[in-house]
Amino acid sequence: MDTAIDQKNFHGRNVLSSFIVFISVNDPIGKKELRCMVHANEDSRVNWIEHLCLSTWEPVYRLIYFKVQNREEAEDITQETYVRAIPYLQKNHVPPDKQMAFLKTVALNIIRDRWRQHQRRGTTADLEAIAPKEAAFEDPAEWSVQRMTIEKALNELNEEQRTVIELRIIKGYSVAETAQIMNKKETTIRVMQHRALQSLTRILHDGMK
Amino acid sequence: MHDNERRLSDYIDQLNAEKKPKDHEHLGADPELQKLFHTVRLVRNLREPAMPERDFPAKLVRAVTDQLVQTKQKKKKRAWMASIAGIAAMLALSLLIHFASLFDHPNIVKAMEKAFQDVNAYHGFLEIVETNAQGKTTTQAKLEIWADKHGRYYIQELEGSNKGLITVNNGQTKWQIRPSEKQVHRFPAFPDPYRFAFELGNEIKGIKQAISTNIIGEEKAANRPSWIVEVTPQGGEPYRIWIDKETRLPLQKQYAMQHGIQYKITYTKIEWNHAIPEKLLTYHVPKGFQEVNQNPEQIVTSIDEAKEAVGFLPDTVSQIPSGYVQDRIAIIPDKKLVKLYYRALDKEIVIIQGKAIGEWKLAPTAMVGKIHHQTAEIQSPVVEESGVIGAGGPYAGLTDLHSIRWRQNGFEYAVIGHASLGDLIAFTKELTNGAFEMPTHKDPFPFKPKVEVPVDLEREKNDQKNVDAGSSPWKLDPLFVAQVFVSLQMSPGGITGDYPIHYEDLRIIQNNGKEAIVEVDAHNTPIKRVYLKRLIRQDATGIWTVVGYDPAP
Repeated sequence: MDTAIDQKNFHGRNVLSSFIVFISVNDPIGKKELRCMVHANEDSRVNWIEHLCLSTWEPVYRLIYFKVQNREEAEDITQETYVRAIPYLQKNHVPPDKQMAFLKTVALNIIRDRWRQHQRRGTTADLEAIAPKEAAFEDPAEWSVQRMTIEKALNELNEEQRTVIELRIIKGYSVAETAQIMNKKETTIRVMQHRALQSLTRILHDGMK
Repeated sequence: MHDNERRLSDYIDQLNAEKKPKDHEHLGADPELQKLFHTVRLVRNLREPAMPERDFPAKLVRAVTDQLVQTKQKKKKRAWMASIAGIAAMLALSLLIHFASLFDHPNIVKAMEKAFQDVNAYHGFLEIVETNAQGKTTTQAKLEIWADKHGRYYIQELEGSNKGLITVNNGQTKWQIRPSEKQVHRFPAFPDPYRFAFELGNEIKGIKQAISTNIIGEEKAANRPSWIVEVTPQGGEPYRIWIDKETRLPLQKQYAMQHGIQYKITYTKIEWNHAIPEKLLTYHVPKGFQEVNQNPEQIVTSIDEAKEAVGFLPDTVSQIPSGYVQDRIAIIPDKKLVKLYYRALDKEIVIIQGKAIGEWKLAPTAMVGKIHHQTAEIQSPVVEESGVIGAGGPYAGLTDLHSIRWRQNGFEYAVIGHASLGDLIAFTKELTNGAFEMPTHKDPFPFKPKVEVPVDLEREKNDQKNVDAGSSPWKLDPLFVAQVFVSLQMSPGGITGDYPIHYEDLRIIQNNGKEAIVEVDAHNTPIKRVYLKRLIRQDATGIWTVVGYDPAP
C-alpha cells in the first residue's frame, strides 16, 4: 500500500491548524484504489479516534466476549481491534455505516489469528464456524434460535447433568459450592460436569446435522 | 481422562472469574477437549456478558490514541516537533502538579472532612436509581432528607414503593408515620441499626477508612462540576463517589454491579442549614392515625429510680471517658434491663445491663476477649443479636455499630455504640476496673494445628468475591465453616440430610479476628479442634478458611 502526501498542501501552514492532504491508498476490502481527503491534524485525529471508540466499543466488545467468554481477553482484543482497524479506516475513508462491520471483521480475524497461532494441530470446528453475521447479533431472531437450540440441548440431559451445568457454568458457582449444593464430592462434580458437557456437545453436534 | 476433567474444570473456573483461560494460550489440547471448551462457551452465552468497568471506554481511547498517535509521532522527526514537545512537556508538568494535589489521598479526604466540619445540618433531595445489566434504569425512590451532625434526621419518601412514609429520629425517639396503614410506629432512638442511605458524615468516614481513593475523572453530578473518586473499601467491591468541586462534599455514589444490578444514589439538590426545623423533629400523631409503640424503653431520672424499677443497683463507670457526657438513663421494665446513654458530638454509646439469664453463648462471628479469665464477645461491627444486645437484624452488619458483651458476678453487660472500638474499650475498662483484655496472638491455645490442610488461594479469592456479592454468607461464620469441614471429613461422599456434627457441638475457644480455633464437642467426631484463618481479608467481611486441625484423641 502506498501513501503519497501532497507536500504543496503542507508548506506554509500553521502546523497547529487543521490541514488537508491527499493520500492514495489501496482499499483492502474493495481492492480498488481510492483517492480521498483526510483531516491529518493530530487534534482532529485524536477526536476522531475518540468518537469512533466511544460510539462503537460496546457492540464490538460484546461480539468478542461472545467468542472468548471472559472479560480479561475481551478487553484486550477490543483494544487490539481498534489499534489494527483505525489506520485502515482512516486511510480508506470507510463510510460510518460500514465501520461497524469492518471493526467486527477485524475483531474476529484477531481472535482467529490468536487462536491459530497457539494451535499446533490444525483448526477446530468452532473457530471456522465463526461467521460475523451470526456472531454479531444483528439479527435477534438468529440469536434466539441459537439460544433455543442450547436450551433444548440442555433439556435433553438428565437432571443431575443439567443441574451441574447450570450451577457451574450459568450461575458460576465454584466446584466446592456446587458440591455443597448437590451433596456430592468435588471430584464427583468434576467427573459429572465432564460427562454432562460430552453429552451436550454430542446433542448439539447431532442437532446441527 | 482425569487430567481432562481437571483441565475442563479449571477452564470453567477461569471463565467464571472473567480471566483468560490458560488453554486459550495452549491450544495443542486434545481436540475432544477443545470441543468441550467450545460447548462451555456456548452455554455461557445464556448469561449476560460481563461488561467492563465504567472507565473502560476512556481507557480504551487513551490506549488506542497512545499507540497510534505516538507511533506516528516517532516517525515524524520534524524540527517543529521539538518545540511542540517542549510546550507539551511544560503543559504536562503544570497539569501534573495540579493533579498531583488532587490525587493525594489524604488531601481529598481531609478537604471533605474539613468541609463537613462547617456543616451543621443539610437538606437535600435524594434519588436512588437502579440499572440492570442491559443498561435499563429504574428510579427506585426519591427522598427528601433533613439531617444534622448529631445524628438526627427527617426522611420523607416522595416517590417509590413507600411513597408518603416519614421516618424521624430526634435523638430521643425514632418514629415512622405510615400513611398506607394510618399508623405511627415508635422505636428506640438508639441503637438505630438502619438510618438512611448516603448520610454524608458516614460516607466521609467510609472514604477515610478505605484502602485507597483515586480521582479517576471529572463529571457533573446534580449539575455541579465534580471529581469522580474511586474508593476501594476495606471490605466489598470498589465504588465511585462524586465530590462537588466547590463544596468538597459528596453528591453522588455508584456501587459496583452485583448480580446484574447497579445502584446510583444522587443528591439532586442539596443545601446547608443551621438546624433541622424543630417542627419536623417534634413527635406527633397525625389526626386519624393510630400509635403503635414499639419502644420498650422508659426514661427515668436517676440511678435510684432505675434500681426501684429493675430490682438491682446498676453499675456505672467510675469516670466518663473524655469527650462524652451522660445523656439519659432508661429502663426496659419487662426485661429488667437498665440502659445508660452517653453522648459525644456525633457519637453515642449505651451501656446495657441486666441479670444473666440462660447459657452464655458467643456470637459465632465475634472476636473473643477476656475479663477476669472469662470470655468477652467483641462484635465489630455488630452482626448478631445476642444476649442483652437489642440491635441485630438484617442491617446490623452494615452499620457502624460495635459492641462488647460479657458476664460478671451474675450480671450481663453490653457496651454498644456508634463510636470507635477504642471508645467502647475505654467504657468497658471503666466498668471492669481495667480487667478487659482484647484478644492477642499470645492466647492460651497456640495456633499450631497437628494436621495442616492445604489451601487453594485462588479459590479462596473467588469465594470471597462470591460472598462480597451476597452468596454463601455462611463462610463469614467460623463455626459453620468448621461444621462443614468436620462433616465432610466424616462423610466424604457428601452430606445428605442433617450434618453428622451439629452446630451446637462446636464452640469458639479463640478468635482474634484473623485466626480462630473451634473446638468440637461430640462423641463421634474424628476432629477435636479446627484451626481457621481469614486469608483474604482480615475484617468482618472476610471469609474463614480451614487451615488445619487436631485429630480427636
